Amino acid sequence: MRRIIVECDKCDGCKNCSAACMQAHRETDGTIYDLDLTDPKNESRNYILKDAQGRYKPLFCRHCDEPECVKSCMSGALTKDPESGHVFYDETRCGSCFMCVMNCPFGVLKPDRVSKSRVIKCDFCVNAGGEPSCVLSCPKKAIHVEEV
Amino acid sequence: MKYVIVGVGVAGIEAAKEIRKKDADGDILMISADAQIHSRCMLHKFIAGERDEKGLDFTELDFFEKYRIHWKSGVRTKKVCPEEKEIILDDGEHVSYDKLLLANGADSFIPPVGDLRKASNVYGLRNLTDAQAIVKEAEGAEEVLVIGSGLVGLDAAYGLLERGKKLTIVEMVEQILPVQLDAHGAAAYQELFEKAGVRFVLGRRASEAVCEEDGRIHKVKLDNGEELACDLVIVAAGVRPAISCLEGSGIDCERGITVDSHMRTSQEDIYAAGDITGRSGIWPNAADQGQIAGRNMCGMEVEYTDTFAIKNTINFFGLVTLCVGRIKPEEGDDIRMKEDRTQYKRIILKDGKVEGVLLQGNIANAGTWQYLIKNQIDVSRIEKDIFDINFADFYHISERGEYMWA
Repeated sequence: MRRIIVECDKCDGCKNCSAACMQAHRETDGTIYDLDLTDPKNESRNYILKDAQGRYKPLFCRHCDEPECVKSCMSGALTKDPESGHVFYDETRCGSCFMCVMNCPFGVLKPDRVSKSRVIKCDFCVNAGGEPSCVLSCPKKAIHVEEV
Repeated sequence: MKYVIVGVGVAGIEAAKEIRKKDADGDILMISADAQIHSRCMLHKFIAGERDEKGLDFTELDFFEKYRIHWKSGVRTKKVCPEEKEIILDDGEHVSYDKLLLANGADSFIPPVGDLRKASNVYGLRNLTDAQAIVKEAEGAEEVLVIGSGLVGLDAAYGLLERGKKLTIVEMVEQILPVQLDAHGAAAYQELFEKAGVRFVLGRRASEAVCEEDGRIHKVKLDNGEELACDLVIVAAGVRPAISCLEGSGIDCERGITVDSHMRTSQEDIYAAGDITGRSGIWPNAADQGQIAGRNMCGMEVEYTDTFAIKNTINFFGLVTLCVGRIKPEEGDDIRMKEDRTQYKRIILKDGKVEGVLLQGNIANAGTWQYLIKNQIDVSRIEKDIFDINFADFYHISERGEYMWA
């Protein structure tokens, strides 16, 4: 499967990846130049965390080999695609129980801010041809896609 | 090889999927009392009218065809005969097996109070058939009494509110959701339900319920003498593993079926997973147990080790809560709290380790807490506000790009 490989030592915390993710998943038309960063509807699916020493630690969905989120999904909304290996989320099936949020050991998932009825989850930019926008936007090449 | 799985809940379904992955040619037969596959966690959505029966199905499209599984539905297992290697169904059929998985779940527990067990308008909420019956009964009902304010009791109330019913919930503890929440977190939900029209009677138990001539209970008397009128009673007082079919089978049971770490019962070639083991009442663990049982049934040696199950998420009226680990404070605890307009957070620390987490209002990216609690990770060395601890503090990446805990 194709996975986003993270090299955290190269990350300088610019958050271009997060902005690109918000842009890729916005409901409205437009470009990154008019993306409203303060609109609670625009949420990133990736995060740049900091450890106690202030070092940047990028947090991106791993589309795990044995995804805990899928195991905890009581509605069938989260599934691991046998072909691509990616974990996809079907909003229409989701029961909004958020056991997936509780069960992801890395804390990648969260409920959406506005309605608290959907899960904010990386979809590998499948609607944009499967080339993750975050990867394309990283100026430090701290993330890249690799067949693993 | 013939695999027989009793039960089409998550444990049974996950086991069947694993078996098909490992054994392409084996015969898989699933047998269930349920006539339809459904997620028990979504029954309130059916009661509320938000989803139909099909909308509760948690399996993939064409599941049985895709995995080449035979399914016999609408029949109960009456007897298990390990000597003969067969089970007997309530339609009289004898079904033989090479490997058997008992994943037939649990039944609602109706306490022996008055005529609760006898009356025709008293229901548990466990199966789709319960939800269907409740919806039907609710058509002619105005006042509904719910006994128990755990997740199932509140689910039932939530669903029936959508149908415009007048609801009263009786709880013997002084707060609602006593297993999941502290008093402060519980009060937030109580307020939301009260705003929606529910009346709570806390710290009281039902003491008398008399069946009248029509076979129904029209009022329930509490231990303080108060009488509550009702047209429909929903009892949400927990479940009991469905082990009555095991009588005389020689399968060891305590509260539920006793299993070893491979999900094997005391009888050869018989496995058990999910609620029937009495080990855990939560979906992800039942899924895990089912998968592990399935692998072992195919001759693999896999152990069920991730047994931690003191965890819940709650979502009513858009107020989300995550609670993992211990809820009740003890002497010697270091308790940290944070509260603002949008959220309430409480962490129980003991000897540098997180023993319990309660997050209400904002549970974003909170998955790491379960790992910290169940693995008893010492967090005292991390020089951060406790609420800011996250995976960055344990960050490690494998060669294949997977995250690992350092």
